[in-house]
Amino acid sequence: MSERKILWIIKYRPKRVDDVIGQDEAKKTIISWLTEWAKGRIPYKKALLLYGPPGVGKTSLVEAIARELNFDILELNASDYRRKSDIKRIVGTAATKKPLLKKGLIILLDEVDGIDPKADEGGLEALVDVIKNTINPIIMTANDPWKEQFRVLRELCELVDFKELTENQIIALLQKICDSEKIYCEREALRWIASRSMGDARAAINDLQAVAEGYGKVTIGLVRAIVRGREKTINIWRTLNEIFYANQAWAAKKAVTQSEEDYESLIRWLNDNIPKKYSDPLDLFRAYDALARATVMLSRAKISGEWGLLSYVFDLMGPGVSLARRSEEILKTRYGFPDWIRLMAQLKPMREEREKLAEYLSYRILASKSTIMNEVIPYMMLIFRNPSDPVIAARLALGYNLSKDMIKYLAGDNTENVIRALEKIKRARPEEVGKETKRGPEKREARKEKSSKGLDYFIKS
Amino acid sequence: MSSIAEILWVEKYRPRTLDDIVNQREVVERLKLFVKEKNMPHLLFAGPPGTGKTTAAHALAHDLYGETYRHYMLELNASDERGINVIREKVKEFARSRAPENVPFKIVLLDESDNMTSDAQQALRRLMELYTVSTRFILVANYPSKIIDPIQSRCAFFRFTALKKEDIVGRLRYIIENEGVRYEDEALDAIYEISEGDMRKAINILQAAASLGMVTVESVFKVVGMARPREVREMIRLALSGDFTGSRNMLRKLMIEYGLSGEDVVKQIHREIFSQELKIPEELRVLIADYLGEIHFRLVEGSDEDIQLAALLAWLALLGKRSQM
Repeated sequence: MSERKILWIIKYRPKRVDDVIGQDEAKKTIISWLTEWAKGRIPYKKALLLYGPPGVGKTSLVEAIARELNFDILELNASDYRRKSDIKRIVGTAATKKPLLKKGLIILLDEVDGIDPKADEGGLEALVDVIKNTINPIIMTANDPWKEQFRVLRELCELVDFKELTENQIIALLQKICDSEKIYCEREALRWIASRSMGDARAAINDLQAVAEGYGKVTIGLVRAIVRGREKTINIWRTLNEIFYANQAWAAKKAVTQSEEDYESLIRWLNDNIPKKYSDPLDLFRAYDALARATVMLSRAKISGEWGLLSYVFDLMGPGVSLARRSEEILKTRYGFPDWIRLMAQLKPMREEREKLAEYLSYRILASKSTIMNEVIPYMMLIFRNPSDPVIAARLALGYNLSKDMIKYLAGDNTENVIRALEKIKRARPEEVGKETKRGPEKREARKEKSSKGLDYFIKS
Repeated sequence: MSSIAEILWVEKYRPRTLDDIVNQREVVERLKLFVKEKNMPHLLFAGPPGTGKTTAAHALAHDLYGETYRHYMLELNASDERGINVIREKVKEFARSRAPENVPFKIVLLDESDNMTSDAQQALRRLMELYTVSTRFILVANYPSKIIDPIQSRCAFFRFTALKKEDIVGRLRYIIENEGVRYEDEALDAIYEISEGDMRKAINILQAAASLGMVTVESVFKVVGMARPREVREMIRLALSGDFTGSRNMLRKLMIEYGLSGEDVVKQIHREIFSQELKIPEELRVLIADYLGEIHFRLVEGSDEDIQLAALLAWLALLGKRSQM
């Protein structure tokens, strides 16, 4: 072949925003965010993090929007910029340079989840610095932004969710390409390709081109022979599918061991997606029971250091979840990202405040932390969450010299009211600020105790 | 001008000296003798919660050492200290520190000591022997039968009885007068009934109810109901009705809003399933408790709380479906 043909994924890359299939929410978010920049205003979050499975149009959409809104674009792939020095040099420079001709310059960083926090040491931190100092919009893409190491990055960015494409959306896309290439195709063949692509348009187009250019037509016989799973490791979407749809234990176990997702995150994924696929209460319980026992095995493996036990973890989370299903029906609900990691991030600081508060009150009220947590804090919460009289809460906050975070923990939605009342008291009675209230003769001691850390102080004295 | 800063009334109105303690008269009289003689054996205080055991220990130390008594007392809580090793280290270090001038010993106060395993109690017994010259132990417990015999035999035993109605109501009236609380008489009866003789609980309820305005029977019940997150019952109800996802969202909301741990949630569910306010077939209560105990154990072992609790809710959903058929 003398003529080297252009790849269809490039030839049929969306040119306009309307060419990008689906993703209406994402389109709206990105456009309104960039419009802010175009008007010379800096949005609350200076970076976007687009996340979703591969081949659903994350990068293409950014390119199309940039074209329509007249933005320049500096596109970098993970392999170009992953080291700390590169990030500072390339990204950092671009982030602080004003564009001359166009409305603005978008810095597009592809596959940020490709940055390895160990191998590319300091890369993520450098990126965080760049975002904090940028005067240009930064957009990043990632398949899986939920790993712990991306937490700081997540907090700095507005997260934009990209949905996996449906089979029908992909079939329609393939049909359009065949029409424009004037290639004969069978609907069934397109359906086969689409179902094997697991919602990845790029993979589907590549498969289509391989068959069409090799044979000049796309029939069900050809695609059956040619289109198979392309990777050795399988991505999370396929892993989930293979576990939920498997009928044999070995297939489900293979899905676990071959998944590119590590088993701990896979447990999180299963945890949030079981109710999206199983509806019968018996199936649901059997699946959760298996998963729950998988985590029991896992904690035993960790505690004992007997990593051989891991094999049973895989048995329970794969075949255990898979064969829990006895009814034929599998729900069509789409998979979702695990929520728990995000929730944990909210939960952790609250629990720390609760712990600190209980420890402090336990010294003052002479009861164990657990008694304080279960029998004292609930009543305090009640006082602090009473919207009609924040002054009582504020007086207590003053009496115990509670930190803002503790007040926030106790008051929840009522925090602002309490803080406002507290500020008012502080202005009116400055002499009482910062003191802890003790009764009578103990007052002198109070100062001393405050500077110590409870028990430890007494042991050393 | 009186202070605008406020503290919890359980702390504000806690008796500081043995003379301040108006109930548990026999106990207090015997403790006063120790103060007079400036000597005492190891002590074991046993009785229901909120009857003044810990308060009495502090008042005793106060009367022995004066205002700075907490310098000469090591306060440990068996349910907060992780293991006997932590306790041993702390006691060892404390026993070495200087003693007060006119009293020949220091005090180790070990609260909730019935929460210790019998192994830990054996180790504790050795500590009591080892440091007996310089240190006296006061053990506080709800259930003295859970304290091993060798420790019981080394201690002078003090039984605290549940507070009588006049004790509780009398104290509440004293606080009410001092704080200028508006109230109706029946509300105090209600508080006593709910508190089951637990002074700490009674005072906490009073303060929370007072913060809402006038203390009435209605506001007392409102406070008690609200102090137990109602989301727990709602979560159970949703699960039993078959709405797994709804109940799970409720669970997560509960944990986020109140910062509860998995174990806290298990305990709250346990309380709910035997409450008559939850209308379910009686045998279901046992089936739930059975699995709940298993989940509780797994959490103690360190298993993932979100997944263990999800399994529990899935179990409730299944039971709910079966009991409808």
